[in-house]
Amino acid sequence: MGRVLRLYFPFTRASIQSSLMYSLNMIFFSLSELLYCFVMYYLWKAVFESSGGSDFMGFDMQDMVLYLFITNVTAYLTMSDADNTIADEIKDGSISMRLLKPVSFSMSVLFKDIAGPIVMFCMVFVPMTACVEIYRAVTVGAVMFNIVNFALYLVSAVMAYLISFFMNMCFGFLAFYTTNLWGMGMFKKIVLKFLSGAVIPLAFLPDLLRNILSFLPFASLSYIPVMIYMGKYSTSELVFNMCLQLAWVAVLALLSRLVWKSAIKKLSVQGG
Amino acid sequence: MIEVDKLRKEFKKVEKDQGLLGSIKGLLRPKYEIIAAVDNVSFNVPEGEILGFIGPNGAGKSTVIKMLTGILTPTSGKCTINGRDPVADRKKYVKDIGVVFGQRTQLWWDLPLRETYGVLKEIYEVDDEAYKKKMSFLNEVLELDGFITSPVRTLSLGQRMRADIAASLLHSPKVLFLDEPTIGLDVVVKNNIRNAIQEINKTEHTTVILTTHDISDIELLCDRIVMIDKGKKVYDGSLEDMKIKYGVMREICFVPENSESFSDKSFKAGLDLSGEDLTIEKEHGKYRIRFNSDKISTKDMLSYTLANTEAKDISVGDADIEEIIRRLYKSGIK
Repeated sequence: MGRVLRLYFPFTRASIQSSLMYSLNMIFFSLSELLYCFVMYYLWKAVFESSGGSDFMGFDMQDMVLYLFITNVTAYLTMSDADNTIADEIKDGSISMRLLKPVSFSMSVLFKDIAGPIVMFCMVFVPMTACVEIYRAVTVGAVMFNIVNFALYLVSAVMAYLISFFMNMCFGFLAFYTTNLWGMGMFKKIVLKFLSGAVIPLAFLPDLLRNILSFLPFASLSYIPVMIYMGKYSTSELVFNMCLQLAWVAVLALLSRLVWKSAIKKLSVQGG
Repeated sequence: MIEVDKLRKEFKKVEKDQGLLGSIKGLLRPKYEIIAAVDNVSFNVPEGEILGFIGPNGAGKSTVIKMLTGILTPTSGKCTINGRDPVADRKKYVKDIGVVFGQRTQLWWDLPLRETYGVLKEIYEVDDEAYKKKMSFLNEVLELDGFITSPVRTLSLGQRMRADIAASLLHSPKVLFLDEPTIGLDVVVKNNIRNAIQEINKTEHTTVILTTHDISDIELLCDRIVMIDKGKKVYDGSLEDMKIKYGVMREICFVPENSESFSDKSFKAGLDLSGEDLTIEKEHGKYRIRFNSDKISTKDMLSYTLANTEAKDISVGDADIEEIIRRLYKSGIK
C-alpha cells in the first residue's frame, strides 16, 4: 500500500498543482453549476407552491432544497474526468507517454483523476455544505447536521466516485475505436444526469421505473449518497444500498479491466 | 540486446472519396484498405551500439520505434529487447528504457521542470544518491540550470528538447530510443544533445537507437545504420560501407587562375557525361564539379580538369554522405 501510494501519488500531486494553476477556470465552473442549482430551486419552489400541500411524495420544500444542493455538491465529489483524459490522450497521441511509464495505466489515470474531487472537496464542497447547513439551521431553528450520516455519506460518496471513475474508464476506451468522443460524451452526460436522479429525485418517479433505476449503477452515483446524507434510509436500507454500491464498484472495475485488455490491442498512436 | 525478427504492422486505412458527398458516402459505407506500414523488418543491435535508423518521411521509422517501445502491438513478427517482450511485459520493460519523441513531450506541461523530475524520480524509484549524481551530470551536459524552475509550457523548443532528453536518462536506461531528437533545433543545442548521447553511451554503455533526418547526427554518432523505405529494410551496415558501395559521386573543387578563362559549357562539352552524372556549381569564385566515378575515373577526371583549366587550389573530395542518401531516397536501392 505504501509503495502504491509512493508510486502513484505524484500523479495526484502533479494534477492538483496543474488544476490550481487554472483556479479561475474552476471558480467559474462551480459558479455555473451553482446557477443551475438555483434555477432548479425556483422550479421546484413553483411546483411545491402550485401543488398546495407542504408535502410532496415524502419531501417537503426544505427537504427539496437540501436535496438539490447536496446533489450538486455530491456531483463535485464524484465527478470523474477519466473519459476525457483518455479520449484526449488518444486524440493527440500523448497516451504513448503514459504507456512508456512503468506504472499501471488504470492506476495512473485514477490517481490523476482523483485530484479533481480532492480540490473540489476543499474549495467547493466544504464551504457550500456549510452554507446549506447554516440555511437549514436558520430555517428550522435547530442544528440539523448529523455527524454519523455525514461520515456514512462520505464513504458512500467515495464509492460513488469509484463507480463514476470505472464507468468513465470503460467509456473512455471507446475512443480507442472511434478516436473522437465529444458527441457521445455530451449524450452520456445528459442521460446520466437523469438516470442518477440529479434532475428529479428517483422517489418521484413511477414505481416500476424507480425500482429499475435504483438497482442500476446510476443511482449509486448520486441518489444513494444524498439519501444517506438526508437520513432518509432505515438501517436495513442503508446497509443494502451501500452493499449495492460496493458490488457495482467491483463489477465496473472488472469490466473496465476487460475493456482495457481488448482496447489496448486496437490502439494506434497518431502522428509523429 | 535488441532482436527484431520479421516485424510487420498493418493499418486499416479508411478510403474516402473526395468532397462532402464523398465524406457522406464514407460515413454510410466505409471502404477499408490494408496497408503494411512495416513489412518484414529484421535486425539486431548489440549492447552499447548507437544505431542510426533512417529513411524518408513515412517510411515506417516511427512505427518501428513504437513497436520496439511497446506502444504498438505488431501484427506479426516479434521483437525482444533486453530479454523482454515490450508489449507483454510493458511495466517491467519500460523501466529499462528511455524514450524521446521529438514531436512530443513526456514532461508535465503545467509543472516547473524540477517538479517533473521529482515525479519521474518517484515513478522510476530512483534513490536519492543516484538521482543527485544523475541530475548534476545532466545539468552539466545539457545546461538545464537556466530554466529548471520554469513551467514546462514556457520553455523554448531547444530547452524543452534538452529537458526531455534529461528526463529520459534520469533512471539510467539500458536502451535509449530517440525519435528525431534534433528536429528543428539550432546548432548549439544539437551539439549539446549529441554530446549527451555520446557521453551516456560511453560511460554507461547505453544502447541507442536514433532516427533522424540530420545527416550530421548520423556521421557524428552512429556506428551503424539501418535504412528502411516503404516499410522494408533496404540497407543495414556501417556508414563506411555505404560510402564504398553507393558513394559513386566524387567531387573536384578548384579556383581558376582567372575566372573568365573557365566556362561550364566548353568544360562539359569535352566530356561524354550528362544530367546527374556531371554537375558544376560555382560559389564565391570556387567551382565544385560533381561527377559519377562509375562513368569516369577520378584520375581521368583530374587530368582532364588540369588539362583544360589554369586551376589553383585544387582538391579532390570524397563521396558526400548526404548526397548518397539523397540519391537512395530518390531512386531506392537496387
